[in-house]
Amino acid sequence: MLCQLGVAVRTGQRAIVGKAMRLRTVKQTPKTIVSRKEWLAPRQGSRGQRAWALLAAGLLCLLVPTTKLPAAEDTNQSCLMCHEDHSLKDQAGRSLFVSKEQMEQSIHGRSGLSCVSCHVDLESVKDFPHSEKLARVACARCHEDAQRSVDTSVHAQAAPGKKTGGSSCASCHGYHDVVESKDVHSKTNPLNQPQTCGACHFVEKNGKRGEGFVKDFLQSTHGLALSRAGLANSASCSTCHGSHAVKGAADPASPMSRKQVPTTCGQCHSGILRDYLEGVHGRDFDKGIRDVPVCIDCHGEHQILSPLDKRSKVYATQIALTCAKCHDNEELIHKYKLLGKRLRTFQGSFHGVASAYGEPKVANCVSCHGFHNIRPSSDPESHIHPTKLPQTCGKCHPGAGEKLSQAKIHVLDPKVANYAGYVIQKAYFYLIAVIMGSFALYIFADLKVRLRQKFRKSQ
Amino acid sequence: MNRNRSPLDPSRAVLPEDSLASQADRLISDDEVFVRMTRSERLQHITLIICFVLLVLTGLPLLLDPSVWLKKLFFFETSFAWRGWIHRAAGAGLIGLSVFHLFYIVFTQRGREVFWALMPKLKDVTDALQSFGHNLGVTGWLHQRGICREFFDRHPSWLFEAPPRYGRYNFIEKFEYLAVLWGNVVMIVSGFFLWAINLSFRLFPLWVYDVFKIIHSYEAILAFLAIIIWHLYNVHLTPEVFPMSRVWLDGKITGHDLRTRHPLEYEAILEQRRLKSSNHRDTASQP
Repeated sequence: MLCQLGVAVRTGQRAIVGKAMRLRTVKQTPKTIVSRKEWLAPRQGSRGQRAWALLAAGLLCLLVPTTKLPAAEDTNQSCLMCHEDHSLKDQAGRSLFVSKEQMEQSIHGRSGLSCVSCHVDLESVKDFPHSEKLARVACARCHEDAQRSVDTSVHAQAAPGKKTGGSSCASCHGYHDVVESKDVHSKTNPLNQPQTCGACHFVEKNGKRGEGFVKDFLQSTHGLALSRAGLANSASCSTCHGSHAVKGAADPASPMSRKQVPTTCGQCHSGILRDYLEGVHGRDFDKGIRDVPVCIDCHGEHQILSPLDKRSKVYATQIALTCAKCHDNEELIHKYKLLGKRLRTFQGSFHGVASAYGEPKVANCVSCHGFHNIRPSSDPESHIHPTKLPQTCGKCHPGAGEKLSQAKIHVLDPKVANYAGYVIQKAYFYLIAVIMGSFALYIFADLKVRLRQKFRKSQ
Repeated sequence: MNRNRSPLDPSRAVLPEDSLASQADRLISDDEVFVRMTRSERLQHITLIICFVLLVLTGLPLLLDPSVWLKKLFFFETSFAWRGWIHRAAGAGLIGLSVFHLFYIVFTQRGREVFWALMPKLKDVTDALQSFGHNLGVTGWLHQRGICREFFDRHPSWLFEAPPRYGRYNFIEKFEYLAVLWGNVVMIVSGFFLWAINLSFRLFPLWVYDVFKIIHSYEAILAFLAIIIWHLYNVHLTPEVFPMSRVWLDGKITGHDLRTRHPLEYEAILEQRRLKSSNHRDTASQP
């Protein structure tokens, strides 16, 4: 028994110095098999032993830096005598089983916390089994900062239609098995966050309170990076939404509020943030213009897909429609004096037609204008600045840039765009109309006579 | 012709078919088979059909609005690229055919004959008017009602009482041949510059390239409509041959069809045979 306690306390010490992983390799102590019956039976002859054990444990505890620690093992052992029983249930039928192994491996177990460190109301209980109702564990006793953050979050607010507050600490962190977030088994590890958050936010349909977003996220490039590539440094729920202080996107303090989105994405995509801020969209964003697109307007939110994915809003054949949401929007065109009809003129070109039929190699908006650092044609660094055009067009049409750079692009009026073409087009139109009209007339007259002849002959 | 419109000339009431038939019975029987299209011509025609259909199928989507059902045809990633490759391959086939045909009409006896026979003459214009006027029958109706009677009495040809009598190729066929010649030249030239895109960008400004594109598109529409309206009517739907003239498959035409549809050619052959037989009789009777 003594030796057992010693091992446990030592493991507790190790956990405190933070060698969590090494701990897993420590050989587990053999389980003491004490049934409920045995526990309830009058204790015989073990008193002396127990006293020594308590003394030894107390002495050992003095070595532990956190001097607050009580004689963890002793109380744990006492609790586990009952709670290690799988069949132990409360009146409502909920299991009261506590896995000793999980407990010991949890961050609290490894730090030497005992059952009563959290279930504080048990400290004073002398009679066992104790009453069924225990006070709710108050994590804030130690984790004050976290609790303060949670209090400001949406999770502290009552869900619509409910009176009491939203989720408890345990809904995200788990109960006896709580481990630090770095641990891949932690419920709050980036790899497991979709499941943890999805426990509440997974709904088939997109709803108001973030319902269904987890489902979208699992399909997204970030979600797949977590689930398929196993990249724990890919964006998970808390990367963008924050952890304890998670707030609705409408809240300006939320990292997902419109003004914060570029910075939030820029945590990881810093090069893109730099390009974006240099471009025309980024500069207008800095001016505080609300209509200017931020990351999510082109890439989507939870369902962000790789640009190579056909369903992505920024896939080669889809990007024109995405840009057109603003650049063919009459209201925005009027408000910001944008050059309108970009989409229609593009769709009229061969590039646009091929793109509409799903040809990804053909030029689209970004092939000429660039993407994150789009600049106006007046900017000498812009891809569509007159001096840069030969190079830009030449990417696909080698040697053709010189003449192409003088051409008019995105002109809707055919007379202005290409007068000769316009005249030829009109001429062909009337020619076709006249020829087809004469064909129709001739066929009509011919058919009339021939059918009549045939009819008479058959008579 | 069996409309008793005008009693002016009693001979008009006699059917020319019957009179001709009675004269020529001995020299050209109705069952006799003549060659209208040689094997080479039929093969050229079939090649043209294949190329044309492929070109239309792979080219037309570019002119149409990419609607939902049309997009479904382009279901795999390289389908649009395939569209282009098939279109250019068929275009190359058409160029090859055109070159072959050029050699055919220059270097073969039959080719030269056919080519010159297909060249339009003034008679084809009057034939077209005559045919249309005759079918419409408006002038005859006016004359019957006594409207402009004086004008029609002075110019009886305006009554269009008889349908035109055609030679080996009627104005419809000549028109189609010329349309194919013209269309081919336009499509091949414009298509070449669209194909060699980087060459044309180096040679011309963009608007010239766009003009080629416009010409190629509209000429394609013209050709497509001409084929499905004009050609398909004249070789499939017209009651004369419905459901289909088989000339393009076997190249044959019977003496009867020759007599009724190409009377001038029929008469020319008849004349030839008459001369031949009289010469023969002469030479036979000399000794």
